[in-house]
Amino acid sequence: MQATPANASGLRVDEKLERMKLFGLSSPALLLVLVILVIPVGWLFYVSFLGGNGQFSLENYQRMVERSSYMRIFRTTFEVSLVTTGLCILIGYPLAYFLSQIPPRIANLCMITVLLPFWTSLLVRTYAWLVLLQKQGLINEWAMALGLWDEPIKMVHNMTGTLIGMVHIMLPFLILPVYGSMKAVDRDYVKAAANLGASPRRAFWDVFFPLTMPGLFAGTLMVFILCLGFFVTPAVLGGGKVIMVSMKIVSNIELFVSWGAASALGVVLLALTFAILWVASRFLKLDQIAGGGH
Amino acid sequence: MKHKMTFTLVSALFATTAMAHADDLTVASWGGSYQEAQSKALFEPAAKAMGIDVKQETYGGMSDVKLQVSTGQVTLDIVASGSGSAARAGAEGMLEELDYDVIDVSNFGPTLYSKYCVGGDVFSTTYAWNTDTYGENGPQSWADFWDVEKFPGKRAYRNKVAGALEPALMADGVAPEDVYKVLDSEEGIERALNKIRELRPNIDVFWSSGAQQAQLMKDGEVDMTTGWNGRFDNAKKDGAKVAYSYNQALLDYDCFAIPKGAPNKDLAMKFLAEISKPEYQDDLPKYITYGPTNNLAFETGVIDAATAAGLPSSPENAAKQLPISLEWYAKWETVASEMYQEMMTE
Amino acid sequence: MRSQDSDALPISIRGVTKTYGAVHALDDVSLEVKSGEFITLLGPSGSGKTTLLMVIAGFTRPDCGSLKFGEREVIRTPPHLRDLGMTFQSYALFPHMSVAGNVAYPLKLRKLQKAEIAERVEKALETVQLGGYGDRRITQLSGGQKQRVALARSIVFEPRILLMDEPLSALDKKLRDQMQIELRHLHEKLGMTTVYVTHDQREALTMSDRIAVVNKGRIMQLASPRELYERPANRFVADFIGDSTFLPVERSGEQVSYGGMPLKFVQAPPDTPTLALMVRPERIVLSSEGPREGANNFAATAVEVVYQGDSYLLHARLDDGTLIALRGGVRGASLSALPNVGDKVTLTLAPEDTVLIDGSEA
Ligand SMILES: Nc1ncnc2c1ncn2[C@@H]1O[C@H](COP(=O)(O)OP(=O)(O)OP(=O)(O)O)[C@@H](O)[C@H]1O
Ligand SMILES: [Mg+2]
Repeated sequence: MQATPANASGLRVDEKLERMKLFGLSSPALLLVLVILVIPVGWLFYVSFLGGNGQFSLENYQRMVERSSYMRIFRTTFEVSLVTTGLCILIGYPLAYFLSQIPPRIANLCMITVLLPFWTSLLVRTYAWLVLLQKQGLINEWAMALGLWDEPIKMVHNMTGTLIGMVHIMLPFLILPVYGSMKAVDRDYVKAAANLGASPRRAFWDVFFPLTMPGLFAGTLMVFILCLGFFVTPAVLGGGKVIMVSMKIVSNIELFVSWGAASALGVVLLALTFAILWVASRFLKLDQIAGGGH
Repeated sequence: MKHKMTFTLVSALFATTAMAHADDLTVASWGGSYQEAQSKALFEPAAKAMGIDVKQETYGGMSDVKLQVSTGQVTLDIVASGSGSAARAGAEGMLEELDYDVIDVSNFGPTLYSKYCVGGDVFSTTYAWNTDTYGENGPQSWADFWDVEKFPGKRAYRNKVAGALEPALMADGVAPEDVYKVLDSEEGIERALNKIRELRPNIDVFWSSGAQQAQLMKDGEVDMTTGWNGRFDNAKKDGAKVAYSYNQALLDYDCFAIPKGAPNKDLAMKFLAEISKPEYQDDLPKYITYGPTNNLAFETGVIDAATAAGLPSSPENAAKQLPISLEWYAKWETVASEMYQEMMTE
Repeated sequence: MRSQDSDALPISIRGVTKTYGAVHALDDVSLEVKSGEFITLLGPSGSGKTTLLMVIAGFTRPDCGSLKFGEREVIRTPPHLRDLGMTFQSYALFPHMSVAGNVAYPLKLRKLQKAEIAERVEKALETVQLGGYGDRRITQLSGGQKQRVALARSIVFEPRILLMDEPLSALDKKLRDQMQIELRHLHEKLGMTTVYVTHDQREALTMSDRIAVVNKGRIMQLASPRELYERPANRFVADFIGDSTFLPVERSGEQVSYGGMPLKFVQAPPDTPTLALMVRPERIVLSSEGPREGANNFAATAVEVVYQGDSYLLHARLDDGTLIALRGGVRGASLSALPNVGDKVTLTLAPEDTVLIDGSEA
């Protein structure tokens, strides 16, 4: 006991040194994070409190409360994001399931087609949808040529078009994590359930589905949060009728010729996103306890 | 979007310090066929005549200028701008006052230059229609544009307030000369908005750019739209079935300004003087159907009579139109814009 | 434990073949498992044990063959209707359910009353000595405990057939020995027909009523542990179970001789073209007083002597160059009498221990 103090202080120094080394090693990364994340966001926050005359002011936030359009824009943003996320789940989960069940070689090929959109620019994909969906677009022309319908159906320049475009772009973000978590589910689990008397349907819902929840959750969150900041797709396919926060940010920059009015919107969106992440992370933790172990 | 914004910000900060002043002048405009026309008619020949190097850039509008001015890192010597936003930016102290002893505007139309911005071209905000749907005798007034019984079909309309309220009031029976008087109050603006609300069920698309207006008409996505005359002419050249009228159109102009603290302010001023001369301005209509701001350009013989008659600024066409009121935009644009957005999100 | 129809079911496998491309995972396998019997599939890795188990459980569809539980043909019955218990090599305990949730799952599927489920779950957990562990998370269990939960889950619905795929392979030796005995007890208590898979020969010998030695998708021999050890049907089985040395022998009529020396033996050799003498290290004896009358004697040279605590291992080279292993007990006297390396020694094999088997390489 008596010899330890000298020793202990030495060990403490070692620990400190070790920590400093770690810090030293990671400092370039930390600096990068500081430069590309912390500073801009801090600046965003600061600027949002500058009024038109450059003085501290709450006017940018006040405006959001006073003008009902802001409320509606936020509501649209969340609605679009929610519906897109929902559709992505409805389409993406079964697709990921299919991919996870077929032989790996074919699955890899299919995966490439799922990921293919990643290699083309967002703008190109969005305009491609415009070409497909508009009144005299390919789909309407072909369908009318085939006699499926007589009058062109309005599929773009509205919510429908926006959702089609967004779901298409977001789908890989859902499929990837879900597919990953499905591949991670040991096939023995489903076999065990069947062996214990569960029909394929029961086995799926009782065992497979709960075990893929972490992936589904991650994918859902990712899609939803990415949707919140979407700009190009609703701007091009929404026909000016689907106005999301990001579009309002742009128009505020042009309109007020000041970053404050736009920054305030950015700050509110950021805050809401963090709030969602926070709530979600609580769920995620619960989920991990329940689904952990592999 | 937040990310995009911060990204451009940071890159802008880096870019400004990294940029060397190898060129004598840096000019920024909106890009596309518009800047191409400016380049061929104005920038290149003027630079040659003055024996200087002009570097061209595209930019995002007065918000970019504001960023440069507020950070003290001004790299742009001349920017092309809408007349309204230039007026507001000037009022905010972001632009240098122009020296009209250097720039000769004696032959400019009186509304085509201002304290901070000198006109570069004249254009019209008007209505265009699909000639397959309505033939050559489409709508001839804003009242017609609103008349969905006489002209059934889908409309497109601007997604911003600029140039959007005046037509509504004229459709509502306000005489062109009274439009800005009526609009000089929130009630007046609301009246215009109500008129747009009335048309809304027939508005399929709220367009956001000139390219989009042209595309909508080319694709037959809508039967009628508001927009800029030059775009419709170009669409027509590309084979679109589109015609437009100057009757009750809004006469507007684009202009050039010098950001506050521009590195080569004096040279910029001289360059503006140069490109304001008729011998350059008369070339512009070759590339885009926007009219010159200098009236002498009509007299050099370069612009033939037929072309002149088709330009927004030809005396005959100009007489049919309502000139945009910069004072009104300076006073009301932000308020009206928010009200417009309210209407749009309903 | 058994409440309803308490009879175990016999399993009858006939002519089952399963190929994966060119691999014959199962090659015309036939096996009759008697009602209530504990049978073990023993074989090297990749021999087809799991495949056979999966065919019985219904997870692998064979190319052809018949499978009967009792009188019922089940080869086309989907797994969830086969009503047999099974423990997986990986345990396959559902990580998102508690211990009790796992064990209760088959009962819930059978729509039992809540109270009855609770009662039977607790009873099953007690059977595997995990009473009171119901609320634990699966991740909080040790390997042995997981194994027991898996077992509890597979027996709680009282299946009449129980399949186990290397259930003890992940456990340490001590726990494995203990679980072997427990499993055996459980089988005696519940009496269901059990097919057990292992590649641990000692485990197979300890637990089974009968053992089926599997190699390359074929059953090489099906016999009781004792018969298997004493009378292996061929060199593969002999080699796989226990250590042995094989000596080439010649047959002429009734006479079988090794290196010109006629062998004395009790059991008649199999009727195969070639024969081999199987020498188990614990059956051959070091003779201190030279060749022994009435036994088979082999002259050899000691090559290596290894002291192993409870026994010693002597490697000796026969005159024809074959290396032979001998294991002897260690007692005070014999220890001092151990030969030195290079000593000439005599090894003797009693006629009862002289086992002649099919000499062909299987
Ligand atoms: N799904 C499959 N596809 C292709 N080959 C397979 C498949 N399943 C098993 N096999 C092959 O069949 C043979 C038997 O495999 P099996 O899993 O039954 O062996 P095992 O005796 O259980 O081995 P282990 O002791 O290693 O568990 C092996 O050669 C294996 O490679
Ligand atoms: Mg196996």
